[in-house]
Amino acid sequence: MHSDRHEELLSLAALGVPLEDDARDYEQLIAERCPVCEELFPELREAAAALGAVVPARAPRPELRAAVMASLGPARRPARTTAGWAGWLFAAAAAALFVLIALDDARLRRGREELRSENADLRLREESARSEIARRDLRARVLESDDVRMLFLGGHGPQPGARAKVFWSPGAKRGVLVTAGLAPLPPDRQYQLWVFVGGKPVDAGVFDADPSGKILFESKELASVTAENFAVTVEPRGGLPQPSGPIVLLGSPSAG
Amino acid sequence: MEKSLERPDPAESDRALVAAMVARDADAVARLYDRHVSRLLGVAYRILGETGEAEEVVQEVFLYAWRAASSYDPFRGSVLAWLVVATRSRAIDRIRTRKSAVPSDERGRDPLAGLPAADDVEETTASRQWEKVCRGAVAELPEEQRRALELAFFEGLTHPEIAARTATPLGTVKTRIRLGLMKLRERVRPYSSREKNA
Repeated sequence: MHSDRHEELLSLAALGVPLEDDARDYEQLIAERCPVCEELFPELREAAAALGAVVPARAPRPELRAAVMASLGPARRPARTTAGWAGWLFAAAAAALFVLIALDDARLRRGREELRSENADLRLREESARSEIARRDLRARVLESDDVRMLFLGGHGPQPGARAKVFWSPGAKRGVLVTAGLAPLPPDRQYQLWVFVGGKPVDAGVFDADPSGKILFESKELASVTAENFAVTVEPRGGLPQPSGPIVLLGSPSAG
Repeated sequence: MEKSLERPDPAESDRALVAAMVARDADAVARLYDRHVSRLLGVAYRILGETGEAEEVVQEVFLYAWRAASSYDPFRGSVLAWLVVATRSRAIDRIRTRKSAVPSDERGRDPLAGLPAADDVEETTASRQWEKVCRGAVAELPEEQRRALELAFFEGLTHPEIAARTATPLGTVKTRIRLGLMKLRERVRPYSSREKNA
């Protein structure tokens, strides 16, 4: 009769675990020639072999194949006809040579394309890195300058929950805007920062919304060192010379 | 049983190669080698942690398969299972005879370990599917069952040694091994290429 104990013994044997104290029970089980067990054991061996599929396969060194074949000793090769042998050999060699040359040429072309692509990618990454360093330098110049000033901007109009701070340096003629809670915009719209000089808005640059609502944006060079106030509006992509859309952030100079 | 997926090496084909080996056809060994060497090398390396020794084991296994091809019994499992078990046994034998066993956590530090993994070796989609099934089946095992199976299969520990290593009663270790392997069997059986009526 088949039992958990039988499954236990068969499992240990299938895994190749030394049976030790269980050896006698296992021998008895084999002697009984239980049909269920005879069916089960190969399946458990398959299951044990499945453990071998879990580890990463490894590519052998090319020499291993030759070593294996050399270790076999005398062998019989499958019978082949010898008629036209030399002709076949020549044709096969020529075909193989042609294929090798074609493959090598394709490989070289592919290699050149990959190198070109990598080169272009490296140039892009280098430009991006240089640009990022320049931006960080600028931020540092604004934020660490002795004349840095700060103004709070509150949510306005359609986005009452938005908040921002703008840091600007009259010496550096730049501002850095840090926002929170700005809503995403349609693809054809951008936010535009305005600096008020003499009571009039002057374009200070456009920026896109971030899904997080958090943005760190550096202004264009400010035309005047006397920034009276800042505001952000929603404008067509690329911005306009004068604000046309709703104001979403507006500074309160008296509170700053 | 209806087979829903073939192994990378359909059993008929593997068995045909073994039959050709019985007839002393060395080309059959070469083809069997090309099909399974990366899998067997992965198993040997996992156990031994050293590439050169793992390759020696694999070489021994193919020599064994060549010499003992007539002893292969399809009723006792597929050709791949036969080769995997043979690889595992020889690798474990080497571990046991080492004067100073390499701790398992230090394996994989050999200088030849930079040889490429076989992911880029040409394999059939069915091969990857079969491996995926096996990996999924092992991953779904409860941790303690998977651990017991790995200690037995890859470390070559006896069940009392597993009990000591995991601070678990011997009976519990045997139960975990039984339950774990039976679950694996259930999962991989539909994908097995072994055919009982061959």
